[in-house]
Amino acid sequence: MPVRRPWRRRAWARRLWLALLLAGLAWLPAAQAGVRLLLDEAGLDAAERAASAQLIQDVQARLPPAFGQALDEPIALQWRADLPAQVHGRAKGGRILLARPLLDALLPAAAHTPEQAALAAHQARAALIHELAHLYDRHARGGVSRDPRLLDLAGWQRRPLRPFSRAPSAMRDRSPDAYELTSPREFVAVNIEYLLLDADYACRRPQLRAWLAQRLGMSPDDGRCAPALPFVEASAAAGQAQLRALDPARVYAVDYLLAEGNAQAMSRWGHTMLRLVVCAPGRTPGSDCRLDLQHHLVLSFRAFVGDVQVSHWRGLTGSYPTRLYALPLEQVIDEYTRIELRSLRSVPLKLAPQQIAGIVQRAAQLHWNYDGRYYFISNNCAVESARLLEEGVPALADAGVLAITPAGVLRRLRRAGIAEVSVFDDMETARRQGYYFQAASAHYQALLEVLRTQAQVPVDRVDAWFALAPAQRAGWVEDGNLRVTAAALLLEQAAANRAEHEVRDELKRRYLGRRRKGQALDGELQALFEAESRLARPSALLVGETTSGYGLPIGAELSALQARGAAQALILADGWQRVRALALGALPPAQRAMLEGAQRNVESLSARMREQAREQAPGSQPDL
Amino acid sequence: MKALLPLCLLALTAPALAGSFAGSSAGASSAGSSAGSSASSDSSSGGDDKIVLQARQDAAGFVASEGRIRGAQLEAALRTLRAHDPSLHARSDMQLAQAILAR
Repeated sequence: MPVRRPWRRRAWARRLWLALLLAGLAWLPAAQAGVRLLLDEAGLDAAERAASAQLIQDVQARLPPAFGQALDEPIALQWRADLPAQVHGRAKGGRILLARPLLDALLPAAAHTPEQAALAAHQARAALIHELAHLYDRHARGGVSRDPRLLDLAGWQRRPLRPFSRAPSAMRDRSPDAYELTSPREFVAVNIEYLLLDADYACRRPQLRAWLAQRLGMSPDDGRCAPALPFVEASAAAGQAQLRALDPARVYAVDYLLAEGNAQAMSRWGHTMLRLVVCAPGRTPGSDCRLDLQHHLVLSFRAFVGDVQVSHWRGLTGSYPTRLYALPLEQVIDEYTRIELRSLRSVPLKLAPQQIAGIVQRAAQLHWNYDGRYYFISNNCAVESARLLEEGVPALADAGVLAITPAGVLRRLRRAGIAEVSVFDDMETARRQGYYFQAASAHYQALLEVLRTQAQVPVDRVDAWFALAPAQRAGWVEDGNLRVTAAALLLEQAAANRAEHEVRDELKRRYLGRRRKGQALDGELQALFEAESRLARPSALLVGETTSGYGLPIGAELSALQARGAAQALILADGWQRVRALALGALPPAQRAMLEGAQRNVESLSARMREQAREQAPGSQPDL
Repeated sequence: MKALLPLCLLALTAPALAGSFAGSSAGASSAGSSAGSSASSDSSSGGDDKIVLQARQDAAGFVASEGRIRGAQLEAALRTLRAHDPSLHARSDMQLAQAILAR
């Protein structure tokens, strides 16, 4: 492991060193106007000198132009046997010290297979490049690790309320070398190693590749990487997990998506997400894409709780992992407006195509690599979503959109002039065009009015309607016309939804009751939480793969993912069905009857609605 | 301390508990799925069919309220239907909404 120690560097000291070295050193073939490396040949035999020269030549050929411009004084290279084990090299002042075993492995005498020889050559190059990167970074013309943009891309996160401080990197998943997480300086050195030695770096860390290449004067990416970025679109609920390849050029817009709060403490302040307005295949990106709802993707930072109950204490102390989920918009609409009964507000953001691409790329990187910790205040969904915007779009980082509540972030987006809130001036249009998805409950009263006026139902409060026995409700509407049937069906679905919430509560009571008594947790439930947490962490789907991939998955990793994700999701859907059946069995008979009755009503009303719609004005209705 | 708690913006994944049940329970019992469409829907239906099925709930609201309740999923389905069969431009939104319910 290359280690850098802080070392006070004074110009005179360095010059003295060089003078001493030059006395006993020979010049190696001078590199063409690039970095000059001087080998300390003392004690080296001919083979060792040749191997060193070869290494220097190899590395010099790969160094980016910016290195040669900054490191214009010769750098002494010395093989040292006295470096601590695990340390491959050190950069001190104008010198680089490399661990002697690296040289030994390069020698022809070190009888090895071609693979071993290639590995030895790679390790020696990586060590030398790593140390050169440190020298460059420390140079006044370098300073890569101090650049705010680098810190954003590398994962040293900005914090709300603390403008000058950065949180330690949490890009722990699929790191090529955990050593990069120790400090921004090491991050830069490790990443320059990969940038110069790994042809896949551009595909695995596209944003870093682009930024570093520009900074170091290298040519832009050769377009070898597939433009589409992988996301695992997982829905444990539906038993589905599919790998979605998303080409940023297909994203027409990014919206700030707010789930409005409800009475529950956990959601009182709302939830913040980002919506990617992805165009249907074949459609030219434009405002028509806004209604391609089934292709839109929602990016949602969620804390993974893995329990039936949220502990406030654990939320304050950062015990819950938070990850970036990619969810189909239609699932999110169902979940919020029809199950949780919360409205969704989708605020379009004025962004250029390049900025949109930046957000999608950043999202992909976070999806695969981010292993964050949830904090109620300082690292919640609002903070995380705003930060994703800042990290994706440097102009937003300059404007500063971090805040600790969803409304606070929206205020800052408005102040920055990019939130187009005018779409909400006319709410009816906003609903029709998909800027506002209203909670299903907003219509309950209106639907009940339909029953009152069309079917003479003598109930005027929604609660009272839901309190009736399911058979009674069905009796009132069985002779109704299509309007009545449709209204009754929607209300019946709401009743089933309410009853379903009670099953959930029953499960929770059961689980917590056992835990209080010190009994083992329901084994099945526990196993499900674990399986769910694996699915919530895309990188975990690839653990155990023989390929040691980092960053975004590419090539063979993608096919492995496809199969594993789908299998995992099916197991989960199955498991939840069994656990649900258990909870259902434990439900008091009256509640159970409410649920099953509502479900029966939904089924019969659904069939009746279909029939009535077919009969309606025969001949005039189009056959779809 | 108590004042801090509401600041929690946590979206529970505690999975079943947030949505799996309602979303995964089979067939028409699914409160969250589209207006009981699963009972008759063909699971292998293509993308356009899915758009129409997804709009079933919106369409039911539209028909029940004589057009007052009108959401984006219905809007998307109407657009898809008319794009595939231009003769449907002659039909009213209500006729198409009823046709969606007839599926």
